[in-house]
Amino acid sequence: MINIRQLERNLLVVAGIIMLNGILAVSLAHEFIDYQVLGAAVLIFTGFMMVNAVLCKAGHVGDPLFLPLAAVLVGLGLITILRIKPELFMLQVIWVSVGLGAFVVSVFLSRRLEQIAYFKYLCGFIGVALLLSAIVFGVDIGGNKNWIIMGPIRFQPSEFAKIFIVLFLAAYLSERRELLTLATKHYGPFVLPHPRFIAPLITVWSIGMLMFILQRDMGAALLYFGLAIIMTYMVSGRFSYVIIGMSLFLIGSIICYNFYSHIQVRVDIWLNPWSDPSGRAYQIVQSLFALGSGGIIGSGLTYGFPTMIPEVHTDFIFAAIGEEMGLMGAGAVIMFYIIMIYRAFRASMLSLMPFSMMVAAGLAVSMALQTFLIIGGVIKFFPLTGITLPFISYGGSSIVSNFILLGMLFSISEVRGYNAK
Amino acid sequence: MRNDMKDLTQNIRKVAFGLLSLLVILFIYLSYIQVVQSEFLLTHPLNRRTIEAAHTTQYGMILDRNDEKLAYSKKEGDIFKRKYPYAAIAAQVVGYDSVTYGRSGMESAFNGDLTGNSTSVAHLGAISHVLGKKAGNNVTLTLDINVQETAYKALGNHKGAIVAINPKTGAILAMVSKPSFDPNMIDQQWKNISTDENSPLLNRVTQGLYPPGSTIKVMIAEAALKEKITDLKRTIFCEASLKIPPDYILQESHLEAYGNINLEKALAVSSNVFFGTLSLELGRNRMANTFERFGFNKYPVGQDLQEVASHLPKFSSLGDGDLAQTGIGQGSLLVTPLRMAMLTSSFANKGKIMKPYLVHKITDSDGNLMKTFTPEEWLIPTSSQLADEISKMMVGVVQNGTGSSASLPGVLVAGKTGTAENPQGDSHAWFIGFAPADNPQVAIAVIVENAGFGGSIAAPIARQVFRAALQ
Repeated sequence: MINIRQLERNLLVVAGIIMLNGILAVSLAHEFIDYQVLGAAVLIFTGFMMVNAVLCKAGHVGDPLFLPLAAVLVGLGLITILRIKPELFMLQVIWVSVGLGAFVVSVFLSRRLEQIAYFKYLCGFIGVALLLSAIVFGVDIGGNKNWIIMGPIRFQPSEFAKIFIVLFLAAYLSERRELLTLATKHYGPFVLPHPRFIAPLITVWSIGMLMFILQRDMGAALLYFGLAIIMTYMVSGRFSYVIIGMSLFLIGSIICYNFYSHIQVRVDIWLNPWSDPSGRAYQIVQSLFALGSGGIIGSGLTYGFPTMIPEVHTDFIFAAIGEEMGLMGAGAVIMFYIIMIYRAFRASMLSLMPFSMMVAAGLAVSMALQTFLIIGGVIKFFPLTGITLPFISYGGSSIVSNFILLGMLFSISEVRGYNAK
Repeated sequence: MRNDMKDLTQNIRKVAFGLLSLLVILFIYLSYIQVVQSEFLLTHPLNRRTIEAAHTTQYGMILDRNDEKLAYSKKEGDIFKRKYPYAAIAAQVVGYDSVTYGRSGMESAFNGDLTGNSTSVAHLGAISHVLGKKAGNNVTLTLDINVQETAYKALGNHKGAIVAINPKTGAILAMVSKPSFDPNMIDQQWKNISTDENSPLLNRVTQGLYPPGSTIKVMIAEAALKEKITDLKRTIFCEASLKIPPDYILQESHLEAYGNINLEKALAVSSNVFFGTLSLELGRNRMANTFERFGFNKYPVGQDLQEVASHLPKFSSLGDGDLAQTGIGQGSLLVTPLRMAMLTSSFANKGKIMKPYLVHKITDSDGNLMKTFTPEEWLIPTSSQLADEISKMMVGVVQNGTGSSASLPGVLVAGKTGTAENPQGDSHAWFIGFAPADNPQVAIAVIVENAGFGGSIAAPIARQVFRAALQ
């Protein structure tokens, strides 16, 4: 049996080479090597190797792909941030370091994941509270009214809330899956469980709607709403729930579309960005220009013009990768997400406890939805939603929360009870 | 419980399959954007990337034969701007380079060399930076900016064109087209320049189609001698007009009756009756052959000259009146000034026409020779002996005929004037010729649109160009 931690280490070295190569390419193109930047990159690489060593020492047998995939995505993110917003590079390095720490803590804590199920209502409460806090105290930074400022610390609660909501839904649904499967009420062609059992789902749905309406945060609304529907479907196996949920969302959306001009604008520029390419559709049109100009091979790092896109370092970072690294780079990013999400679902299916299965699947769903929503928005496959690209976008909340999420997935992938079988 | 777990696993598998499919669709759509739509997005007028990219590369220079700069890139702040020191003087030849409106002339034809990497490399994206060079190559033209400038000024405020060729090599020394435009101001003045009814963007030397008028008579003279329809001694009695059945009357331009004149005299006075008669005697077939022999139907002469094809009448269905008209350069016959200069140079170069060319060599930014263009023979339409005879008669035109205003002290000038009637207004004034006739260095064609008589308007302009070219 090969040593999986050694495999992980080898893959981390590959990811490290990719990152250092990119950082050197950017530095050489500017004909100036900033040793601080180089040192920071080496520090990040060392950080990943140290996490690997810690996991090895503690005898963890989790999926060896998670950490290298995160490393390569983080590396691509750091390269792109150094290229388009060098003043944020060091901050992002700090966030990644904090994230690595959070990963280890998360792996450690998730050993007792089942115990968290006892505190499901607390989790649900924290999740809802985080989301509500953004709604109530949210401050508008860069067009998204989902920031909380507490003294010197500011963060986006919705990035963390998704973990608590997943924990809550997983615990709640896995306990009641029989009730949900054996539906008790018939409404025409639809079979529904007793309203009592789907009350929490309706809560999540309402919060999604509130976020949609009050915060203009279509991305987060879709994310939480999708999460609730899909997790319900997983335990019940009833596709009618998905249809009902989607119809409800569609009705909500149509109402919003008719009452809120900004939703109309979003949808209209998605349907036809060329009607107003210099005005309302400026950002998405610039994003398409960047992707198209990149072509297959890309313009080469520092040889493109991704900074023509407003907010390129957060929501539109994917377009910057598409321009300078081409389809080869941007396509690889999608592939990395596909592999990561596949491994997450695999961990879920190999797990033996319904609760941890549901947690892993929920986290996988949230990552898949988030990736789909933001990349789809940037390439105009879907109306644009302001949401971050996991592990790549600049931002402390996003980076740290995704490392926590990854730590949980890693821990679940250790296939508890496997040996007991 | 086990069964229930199986269901859960099944459902999760379905969800995983669905969501991963969504991401695969995303990948396919991304490929569509970056591959299929790439060209559309890259070249979209609102995409400022091409502007920015053009400003960050130093293009090579366009130089005249004496290394005088005709176009170069100058760094202004962070960006390079294209400069044209001679502004309008050589605008149609050198061309313009605008991010918004594209390129023309040499800027367009040699863009790959000027930018330093050919387009095939540019498509390689990031890899092209490894292969490409920092500064572009320089393109040295055959143009002599002094001759060009003299010709440009000599045309004055007239519309028209002047082309000067070295008949022995085909090297183009001057190529003037008026009205012109300032390529330095192309972006600011595009609307005026592009919509001007006098078409300043048009290079009249290669793209202007005019009736050649009496200048074509040199070719008819050659044909008549070659086909032995006449010799130098034969005289034809010329009245002021020639009746051509059924109903056409060919007139002399001043209604003079020249009486009994031979070929040399007829060319010197430019007798329409004489050459009308010769054309009728040559007949449709031999007339058509003559135009073919001198390459008027052979098109194009060079890829980079962006020439338009001459318009020849359909000889087989031509009436006698129209055939006679063709012989004096009227009717539906339309040619470019370049073709008339080439016709002239065949007599200057012992019956050979060299392929006209504009680019002498290409060097890299360090001065190393990359490519050099050598003179190429294009056609041998006539014999050395016939060329010599026509050449002598053309000297007569300048010495004691309609072309006297083109004469230069101490230099034997050969020429032929033309006054071409046209539907646009006053006649076009023409002069074609070469000098020195005993050792030709330059062959030219001058056309001044709607300006009057060739002898009084075009010939003095030709003299100035000869003088500048022979200096």
